[in-house]
Amino acid sequence: MKKKKEGLYLSDRPPLSPLGKVLLVLSYVVLAIWSIVILWPLSQMVISSVNGTQTKNITMGRRFAFSLKHFEYLFNETNFLLWVRNTLFIAVATALLTLVIVSFTGFAYSRYRFKGRRMSLLAIMLIQTIPTFAGITAFYTMHSIISGFAPFFTRQLLLIFIYAGGGIASNTFILKGYIDSVSTELDDAARIDGCSNMQVYRLIIMPIARPMLSIIALWSFIGPFMDYMLAAILLTNNESLTLAPGLFTLINDTRTMNQPAFAAGGLLTAIPIIILFIALQNQLVSGLAQGSVKG
Amino acid sequence: MQVELKDIGKKYEGRENFTLRHIDLLIEEQSFCVILGPSGCGKSTLLRMIAGLNSITEGELIFNGKLMNKVPPKDRDIAMVFQSYALYPHMSVYDNMAFSLSLRKEPKEVIRERVLEAAEILQITEYLYNKPSDISGGQRQRVALGRAMVRKPRVFLMDEPLSNLDAKLREHMRVELVRLHKNLETTTIYVTHDQTEAMTMADMIVLMNDGKIMQQGTPEEFYHHPENLFVAGFIGSPTMNIYPGAIKDGAFHSSGGALVVEPSEKDAQALAPYEGKEVHMGIRSERILSGVEEKNTFQAEVDVIEMLGKEKLLNCKLQDGSDIVISVPGYFEYAVDEVHNFHFDLDALHFFDSETTERIGS
Repeated sequence: MKKKKEGLYLSDRPPLSPLGKVLLVLSYVVLAIWSIVILWPLSQMVISSVNGTQTKNITMGRRFAFSLKHFEYLFNETNFLLWVRNTLFIAVATALLTLVIVSFTGFAYSRYRFKGRRMSLLAIMLIQTIPTFAGITAFYTMHSIISGFAPFFTRQLLLIFIYAGGGIASNTFILKGYIDSVSTELDDAARIDGCSNMQVYRLIIMPIARPMLSIIALWSFIGPFMDYMLAAILLTNNESLTLAPGLFTLINDTRTMNQPAFAAGGLLTAIPIIILFIALQNQLVSGLAQGSVKG
Repeated sequence: MQVELKDIGKKYEGRENFTLRHIDLLIEEQSFCVILGPSGCGKSTLLRMIAGLNSITEGELIFNGKLMNKVPPKDRDIAMVFQSYALYPHMSVYDNMAFSLSLRKEPKEVIRERVLEAAEILQITEYLYNKPSDISGGQRQRVALGRAMVRKPRVFLMDEPLSNLDAKLREHMRVELVRLHKNLETTTIYVTHDQTEAMTMADMIVLMNDGKIMQQGTPEEFYHHPENLFVAGFIGSPTMNIYPGAIKDGAFHSSGGALVVEPSEKDAQALAPYEGKEVHMGIRSERILSGVEEKNTFQAEVDVIEMLGKEKLLNCKLQDGSDIVISVPGYFEYAVDEVHNFHFDLDALHFFDSETTERIGS
């Protein structure tokens, strides 16, 4: 006869004591509250965005009637599509610029010994501690000087440089750390096989570091979606706004106020990011470097 | 290809001392040269300099009469097998082996033919489309060899290629490597710290210590005629029994006093100038014979017995407390704590100058 298991077991540990059981219940309660705090506003946003009875201001407990009219408003009455285009442009450009530069810097810091290597790494780390926002006046000045003789240098381009520049420092560290874990014997083998320095990176190191590069690309891509402050200050023209400050105009100005449309816009903003996550999820799984050396 | 090193030296940037210096070496065409040495002796640095992965601080590296000091690795016509195998993890076995050829823009059919040929010889045909992470250590080792082979290089460089394999497989691969070398007839330079690998595989051994070459020669020369104390102590397992002492009245007296040895006539001649001076005497464990003789007999108490099967190693204590290892055939019966008589095979004594550590006589 099968003996019934007594006591409560967590994974493969000894059975829980009474105090342990209380703590277990407590931790579940905490987790549940936490989830509600996160999920409740999100669900309200989703529900409000498709609730036809909501007017300019979202009010709780209103009768629900499914409608896409807030989305229609968003597309027809606001510059939403322009904002999406602006954001995508800035995000893609930022991600690409960051990837290219971080590839060079990460590889160089990991593989080459040169004068000032340690000092410049340290400098990069220290500069990190200064918030980007502190440089806002400098950014203004730089922009007015450069756009003086190069009119195509828009505020959006400036924004791309600021985002990419901010990301390069920390991402260089991350990528350097990752490449450090790849055996240098691989480089040697590739060199003997006939690779130039660029080929060593492009054909050997880059494919191995792909999980990390994907993460870096994803972060740099998401950044412009999330940032409100810099975009709101630097971009003044409604048509050149990115999503965050663009949508903000729907809730901070009584003339353009439309909270359900704001919710709808927020929902749509999440979509490209979710798509990117799904597309990259295989790349994000690391462990590719296993099996290159030893057994 | 003949590889010649003339007064090669290497000093890493930021270090005060030369890692190795004054290395002169001539590696004949088609020979299997093993560079042997304890870790940190500079043997890997030497190999990497031959490969072109490290720069040469001073001296000349010559391949078949051509100066190679500044030629990049890919143009030296060499292939290298690394200790960690260094297979490209994101490529299949086939792509790993084809990589160097495809970089050279060889036609696809030629690449295919060469890879399959190498795979056939190494018996890895079934794994060609697996990733390196899916195959075992021994198979990875073969892939690494295959990757070197497909290029048909004129020099093979191997950096401790067997040290990640288990003992059984290592034994097997040793023989395979020698067989492969015989078939390919390529000059091979092989770096290892394992004297068994050196003794079993090499045509020529180069023993290094502390950035200098201690001795170069055939395995026989290394075993029977070590040129100095370091070589004598490094080569051979169990380690040679070595005793400090002095020559008095033509006989060797060990400093503990337990051994008094009258050398053979030939040795006595060579030792004549050392009368009254300090020398070291060495003898291999298997050249100590059981039983009593007129001269040179000594008593030893058996301390520990290591049974190896075909032979037994008797770790004994001499009367003055110093150790001696004696190997006897495995079927001889000895017991711990027994005291036995032994004597030396006089033709197998090695004498070294205590001051210079150099060999005395031939």
